[in-house]
Amino acid sequence: MWPTRELYTAGLLVYALGIAGALAGYAAKRTRRWLPGLLCAVSLLGALLEFGASLTALFVRTELSWTLASGVPYLRYTVRLDPLSAYFNLALSLLAASVSVYSAGYIGRSSVRKSPGLFCALLNLLLLSLTLVFTASNILFFLIVWELTAVAAYFLVVFDHESAEARKGGLLYLLMSRGGTGMLLIGFLLLASAAGSMDFAALHGIGQQLPPALAAIAFLLLFLGFGVKAGIIPVHIWLPAAHPVAPSNISALMSGILIKAGIYGMARVFFDFYGTVPVWAGMTVLVVGVVSGLLGVLYALMEHDLKRLLAYHSIENIGIILMGFGSALLFRSFGHPQLAALALVAGLFHTLNHGVFKCLLFLGAGGVVHATHTRNMEEMGGLIRRMPSSALYFLIGAIAISGLPPLNGFVSEWFTYQALLAGFGATPALTRMAFPIAGALLALTAALAAACFVKAFGITFLALPRSERAENAQEVPLLMRSGMAILAVACVLLGLGATWFLPVFDPITQGIFGVAISPDLVAGNGLLLTAGSTGRGSVSTVVIALALVALGAIPLLLWLVWGRKSARLSGPTWDCGLPGLTAENEYTATAFSKPLRMIFAALFRPRREIQTEFEVSAYYPTAIHFESEIKPTFETHVYEPLRELVLSLASRMRRVQAGSIHVYLTYVFITLILLLIFGARG
Amino acid sequence: MMERILTVLAQIVLVLFLSPLITGFSRTWKARLQTRRGPGIFQPYRDLAKLLRKGMVIPDTASWVFGATPYVLFSTTLLAGLLIPTVSAQAPLSAFGGVLAVVYLLALGRFFLALGGLDTGSSFGGLGSSREMTISAIAEPALMLAVFTVAIGAGSTNLSTVAQAALGQSWRFLAPSQMLAFAALFIVLIAETGRIPVDNPATHLELTMIHEAMILEYSGPYLALIEWSAAMKQLVLMTLLVNVFIPFGLSAGWSAITVLSLILFVVKLLFLAATVVLMETTNAKLRLFRVPELLAVAFILSAMALISTFLF
Amino acid sequence: MFWQDPQFGERLITMMAALVLVLQIMMVAQRGLVTNIRAFGLQSFLLAAIAATIAHFNHAPHIYVVAALTLIFKAILLPLVLERLVAKIEIRLEIEPFLNVPVSVIVSGFLTLLGYVVAESFHRPEEAGPASLGHNTLAVAIALFLIGFFMMINRRKALTQVLALLCLENGLFLAAISLTFGMPLIVEAGIFFDVLVATLLLAILIYRIRETFDSMDVSRLSRLKG
Repeated sequence: MWPTRELYTAGLLVYALGIAGALAGYAAKRTRRWLPGLLCAVSLLGALLEFGASLTALFVRTELSWTLASGVPYLRYTVRLDPLSAYFNLALSLLAASVSVYSAGYIGRSSVRKSPGLFCALLNLLLLSLTLVFTASNILFFLIVWELTAVAAYFLVVFDHESAEARKGGLLYLLMSRGGTGMLLIGFLLLASAAGSMDFAALHGIGQQLPPALAAIAFLLLFLGFGVKAGIIPVHIWLPAAHPVAPSNISALMSGILIKAGIYGMARVFFDFYGTVPVWAGMTVLVVGVVSGLLGVLYALMEHDLKRLLAYHSIENIGIILMGFGSALLFRSFGHPQLAALALVAGLFHTLNHGVFKCLLFLGAGGVVHATHTRNMEEMGGLIRRMPSSALYFLIGAIAISGLPPLNGFVSEWFTYQALLAGFGATPALTRMAFPIAGALLALTAALAAACFVKAFGITFLALPRSERAENAQEVPLLMRSGMAILAVACVLLGLGATWFLPVFDPITQGIFGVAISPDLVAGNGLLLTAGSTGRGSVSTVVIALALVALGAIPLLLWLVWGRKSARLSGPTWDCGLPGLTAENEYTATAFSKPLRMIFAALFRPRREIQTEFEVSAYYPTAIHFESEIKPTFETHVYEPLRELVLSLASRMRRVQAGSIHVYLTYVFITLILLLIFGARG
Repeated sequence: MMERILTVLAQIVLVLFLSPLITGFSRTWKARLQTRRGPGIFQPYRDLAKLLRKGMVIPDTASWVFGATPYVLFSTTLLAGLLIPTVSAQAPLSAFGGVLAVVYLLALGRFFLALGGLDTGSSFGGLGSSREMTISAIAEPALMLAVFTVAIGAGSTNLSTVAQAALGQSWRFLAPSQMLAFAALFIVLIAETGRIPVDNPATHLELTMIHEAMILEYSGPYLALIEWSAAMKQLVLMTLLVNVFIPFGLSAGWSAITVLSLILFVVKLLFLAATVVLMETTNAKLRLFRVPELLAVAFILSAMALISTFLF
Repeated sequence: MFWQDPQFGERLITMMAALVLVLQIMMVAQRGLVTNIRAFGLQSFLLAAIAATIAHFNHAPHIYVVAALTLIFKAILLPLVLERLVAKIEIRLEIEPFLNVPVSVIVSGFLTLLGYVVAESFHRPEEAGPASLGHNTLAVAIALFLIGFFMMINRRKALTQVLALLCLENGLFLAAISLTFGMPLIVEAGIFFDVLVATLLLAILIYRIRETFDSMDVSRLSRLKG
């Protein structure tokens, strides 16, 4: 009926074609000018095909699965488009399409223009492997494409390999990724040992069949392993190191969908492989979510590197998603499938929404960084006049990420609040307090995010330019703007049209919890979003948007009646009698976040150093040096000791190294002989 | 349908024209308590009328965000006003948004106001924006926890449902959880509307300004809209407080309202405003970094309110 | 006809396997580099022949591919590369290994014995017929593997270590062929490329080592210990 399989394989083939074509272009001696555009068009085509495949897969209510056999035992190249995979694939293809459009304009102008062929090859490889990650249905196959994704991402992160910062970020990313994969391997093998098979289909509900201790260990290992990719606290340190240094379209993809691969893995493990989990598991996920959300946004507030700020916000939003997942697990443990479905929908919807607006923000930031050649917000300003479209799109993204109505961020946060609210009544006394506390901290997180984006948008775009580079900034080309426009429109549509998007979640919740949730969540002829019934609370983003526009007419009316004849002058800002305001009088990003830095000083441990130079007297200084830094808690208290421990262990082991190849070979040989003897006897 | 439109219009008129009255009463009483005469109850109306007719000066560093802010602020606050029950327990648009929508609509207005402050390019604007966003962020947990307490008690975030549930049990205000939540929300009210001890609405010293700093560069009709929005926000939050916790006088539906319920509503508001004025006159403004302590107290109060819902 | 009789195939394979083992022990005893290389080439040729025989009797065409690959790469190409390298670095003889020649040969004997013992545990006499062709070569394969490993430890010169690695791989190949019908083609191709790349790298490295240390004595590398 629906050509899902054809669309899906066509998409994969187009990506593969893109890789081949790009490598061919790379190998060709002269890079032609139309090559990046052509290759981006290829990835756009692939993304559109995958979009179609996922969309049709969500409509078809049966599971689609196809396999290629390999000669290796246990490994089967199985691909399965069940509703969960199709949903993530949908998100991926939407982001891939907009990034492709953006890249067509970006590649020719940025630092990657020296080798566009290689870049496009890696980009297509990343998209191809991500599509396979979301749809792979065999443990070994999954791990192969998982690692492939990590490798492709690594090369893209260090693409600007002349920068030491980029190399460091890439290395940290790679190291932590390998650690995560190691944990995944053990966790998966524990599960597979109980199921006797490596296929995902055989692992459904396997968590109940393991003995509780093993199930717990596997759960934690898989949570942590996928958490490394997703960027939960405390394994988040690679995110702010790697995302800023990558080329901006790659940062957008990484924050938008690559970390969601970790979320996909968690969703698969929590809801497919494990059915009902003990209460402590759901509570752990919820707590990790709350902590990640709060700490992510607090660290984001202290950043004045625009892209690092956005990277920390990704950590925050992953926390919000995990709050939804944790609540879903808890509701399932206590036997409330409806509420669990609501919480899961909240988490999954926020996954998509965050992907969309984070991608938009990164693309916007990319344009800004490209125009001003700096990532430092303290050197920007006044860009709204020079880059009006970028400013508008960035503003839309900022409003969305702050969870303000009527955009998509508000909708998914509304659902998360409703899920947390329902938790109080649905759980017994000891666990019930967790939900309102989580809700309160979610409110704090969202409010801090709004503060952070006032800072980000305000300092970057508004008022006067703080440096010459910002003064000479120019608007980005049309293709880059189009890429951003697609995402901005998606933000608005997902916010206003949430009621029409919700039926997408039905097959997912049907398969996992056995309830089709969307009829309960939509009311009033598709106008209202509810939390299970209109009696529990409802909101309508469409009506809010229309009402805002309508009510805005009142002051317009008043002005027409009364104020039309009055003057409207332009004048300088009040400058307290100084000879004219310059950019030095403006507020800085560091100053903006100072109150919060002081309030949360216990976390940040800010250090401030001021040195005054003077010649004649201290009252007439010639120069003042100001230095301020906050302590990176996790690096100093968790990772430094860990590193010291590993290094000390390694240096003790060094005595085993004789430096002679023959000695090493002898070690191996003796071990081999012993193994053979014992093996042959047994 | 027609009835719905009429109720919407009635609520708009009520919110628009009652809010300056509350401000006027507050200022006059404060003056009287300080043994001054005060400007008179209807002065805010005169101020608004004057500002709407005056000319405007727009800073040359400003962009379209500066001009959009008064409109956004006005419409978000007014819409929030349409979502809360004032004279009748049935708010006109309450099906389209509950207490979460109210909180976040006010947050949207504040977002733009803060951006407007930064747009001017002066340090005052940045200062005001920074402090305002900080304080509202710190106030959020207490607000949300108190809101949760109320919503859990009524089983819904829809404010009409909450008010109707409150109507059904008149004396439950005296329950410990309700009183604690009321106290917490009272502190949050002070923080959000920018009154002493958090912020001084009458000062223009950079050491003490928060809200005033953000709107320093606004003049003429823009300033009128912003001042009106501030008054409306005060009305919205006060109404939330009185009608959810002390629902006396709320009529069940719009067709049943009488002059009595309107008078009772105004009286309740004035009582609350008087309490706020009393607090303002008897306390000094807190240093900025002491405000989180005050809001932490609010947080603890609302946490205790929540715990006491299932302890008592 | 006799070339379709499995018994004939069995005997042919056993004879070739024996020859392979003999060549391996000869490599242990020999000190001339070029002779070693040529012995390796001959060994690989025999292995290709064994593979072809199994393919013939089991009508499995994909093993012909494997045999052809072995022939081209290991019997022809690699010896050529290595001989060219020897000509470039102008060294003709291996220096005295750690264990002298008689002792090495005795150790190789013991390793062959171990190989037979281990192969016993795989032995399944009830499976007769064409599919079980080559099962008796498993012992030889394991012995080849172990002796190759031992050679890597025993020899000082990098070049013979490379050769030893290649013999080791030969042993693996023979084991795979004898137990199953070879490994999956993709794995086989992987190993081939692995070995090819390793050899090329080692060839370059050997040249460099020779240039730097003026000797191919690998034990001198221990001076680089950190």
